[in-house]
Amino acid sequence: MNRLHINPKYCKGCLICVDVCPKKALKPAEKINAKGYILPEEDDMSRCTGCGLCEVMCPDFAIAIETEDQQER
Amino acid sequence: MKKHPMLKYMKETGPQGDRMPMIMCPGCGSGQVLNAILHAVDRLIQEDGARKENFVFITGVGCSARLTSHYLNFDSGWTIHGRTLAIATGALLANPELRIIVITGDGDTGAIGGNHFIHVCRRNLDLTIVCINNGLYGMTGGQVAPTTETGISTTTTPYGNTEESFDLCRLAEAAGAPFVARWTTAHPHQTIRTLTKGIRKKGTAFIEILSQCPVHKKQSPVQMLKALKQGTARVKPGEPPVEGKIPIGEFCNLDKPEWIQSYQKVLDQFSNHRTPVEV
Amino acid sequence: MNTRNLLEPGVYYLQGAQACLEGAITAGCRVYGGYPITPATEIMEHAALRLPQVGGRFIQMEDEIASACVLLGSSWAGEKAMTATSSPGFSLMQEAISYGIMSETPMVIVDVQRPGPGQGYITTSQEDVMQARWGHHGEGSAIAIAPASVQEMYDFTIEAFNLSERWRSPVLIMCEENVAHMRERLIVPPLDTITVINRKKPQDLGIPPETYLPWGHDVVAPMANWGEGYNINYIGLVHLEDGNITKYDLAMHDRCVRRLHDKIEGNVDAIAKLETKFVETCKHLIVCYGSVSRTAIEAVVEARQVRGIDIGFLRLKTLWPFPEEQLRRILPPVDTVFVPEMNLGMMKHPIAEALRDRCRKIVPIPCLASLHTPEYILAKIDEEIR
Repeated sequence: MNRLHINPKYCKGCLICVDVCPKKALKPAEKINAKGYILPEEDDMSRCTGCGLCEVMCPDFAIAIETEDQQER
Repeated sequence: MKKHPMLKYMKETGPQGDRMPMIMCPGCGSGQVLNAILHAVDRLIQEDGARKENFVFITGVGCSARLTSHYLNFDSGWTIHGRTLAIATGALLANPELRIIVITGDGDTGAIGGNHFIHVCRRNLDLTIVCINNGLYGMTGGQVAPTTETGISTTTTPYGNTEESFDLCRLAEAAGAPFVARWTTAHPHQTIRTLTKGIRKKGTAFIEILSQCPVHKKQSPVQMLKALKQGTARVKPGEPPVEGKIPIGEFCNLDKPEWIQSYQKVLDQFSNHRTPVEV
Repeated sequence: MNTRNLLEPGVYYLQGAQACLEGAITAGCRVYGGYPITPATEIMEHAALRLPQVGGRFIQMEDEIASACVLLGSSWAGEKAMTATSSPGFSLMQEAISYGIMSETPMVIVDVQRPGPGQGYITTSQEDVMQARWGHHGEGSAIAIAPASVQEMYDFTIEAFNLSERWRSPVLIMCEENVAHMRERLIVPPLDTITVINRKKPQDLGIPPETYLPWGHDVVAPMANWGEGYNINYIGLVHLEDGNITKYDLAMHDRCVRRLHDKIEGNVDAIAKLETKFVETCKHLIVCYGSVSRTAIEAVVEARQVRGIDIGFLRLKTLWPFPEEQLRRILPPVDTVFVPEMNLGMMKHPIAEALRDRCRKIVPIPCLASLHTPEYILAKIDEEIR
């Protein structure tokens, strides 16, 4: 299963990644963080295909997807 | 924790490390444009063997200009409003090996920088202009810009804009730029592909990216991205635009003599010639 | 020094404009971006001809603003660059000069002064000499020098490039229309006797990119070029030595701007040059600059030898930074200080600041739009003293 990495220091909770994911693998968190942002989090990463659209759409370089191949290495 | 793949080209730590997180408003399209540019530059480094040292990013003033304010691990310049292209011209004349990417906004290009914009296109200097067009002046609080549509209310058109707006792509084409394209922040893969082509192109590449300003337009970024996707339609070169939709795509890709190459002919012919000035 | 196709040692008969450009390329200028304006156009036309001959590149830009900006980009990319303009164009270039001061960019701008305000006229003047110091917005200074002859258009231009590289500063050559247009002898010495200074680079000092401070290491920071892997971000904002702009507070702002100010104003003795004659024990004094100094010295010699007036001569070769301390050090107290200028009295202000308490009276001798004749100056001296 691909793994989601969100950098809470860089993410500003625009939630573009949640909206743009073709497999709806992400969802907004329920609580705001200490900065006042609602960060994205996993909904069901088994749906994630590693297409990378979230990475390419992120304005803050705050998201990364670690594919299974990358995890094994 | 795995980091975003493009962070390898950015400064996160060190004397300028406190620049992160990026200063942009949440959901601003500028960061997406930088993301796409870095993907394109990465392709050129990996695929073409381009030298990272040769890339130079030049910006002017405004939200678009903030992208060089120490985020980038490249040579760069955060320069004078509207004059980036004149500065880029000087840098290219001094060192034609530099691969200059000018990131500007619609005001920086179309208003104060308008004169330099049309002349760079006319001269066909080998550089890439990425114009982040959000239809207003963001940094200063949301004033009208030459690209604001008629009727839109801004802080300086509180009763609605009474003017027509520029089509910067048509302006670039008419001025002579050989490579002109427009995408939006809702079209990341197309943007990256076109940026890669544009930077590779020997000559002036003008790539306009329609982008969202959620704060001044008072809409969520997700809403605005949907509107950008739905309000635009791809056209091929020579095709007419679709009614009611802003045309996007690569509009032209011509082969024309590039400035440094043309001037090189003068250098080759006359660099051993001496003007007689003896008395 | 690459001497290919430079003027070889010898005697020439050239226009001041041509001599200026020849000096520039001898000093290593290889990029020129310009815009036509009377009476500076001849410098640009000569540049269009000669730059390719020395392996440089010339471009006529769309306006003066763009021309000044070409200098910024070229300097950052590693090539010495120059432009020439006249007074209305000089006004347009002030933003770029201000940016050049903050970013500590070596660049040379020639202002072939003509009268103003507005379009004014196309004859000679010295009406921009205050603008050279105060025309750019903000604090910080550029260096300004005033050539008076064709020979000096060659020599002073080489000096201008050397000053700009040595101090990482814009240097303004405050020329006058008559100096740019006159034709006189130029003597080019053996090229290996000409000193050409190039900017210090971090590579020369063994400083790698990881520890390089773009505005640090020394009073004048070593300067790396774009394309050498030093990842420099040129900025116009107040900054720390490493280029950081985020850690802002008033103390840092003060330090940054004072550093720029002191770099030039605090090194006046090293930068400013002047010339004196008959000042050891003179009773009166003429202080002048530019081509007016050529008629002023005639007037001084005539006054001393024929009219028995004990008057000394001081010529400012450097206008800014103004050598106030030097003036006070070398000049004795005098009765009257005459300041002939091709304006209604501009440099008379710093001169008065420097000498007010050491003379009885300061008398400006203004002359608009044309060069003073020796008789004109002498008439004023007679009127005052007799």
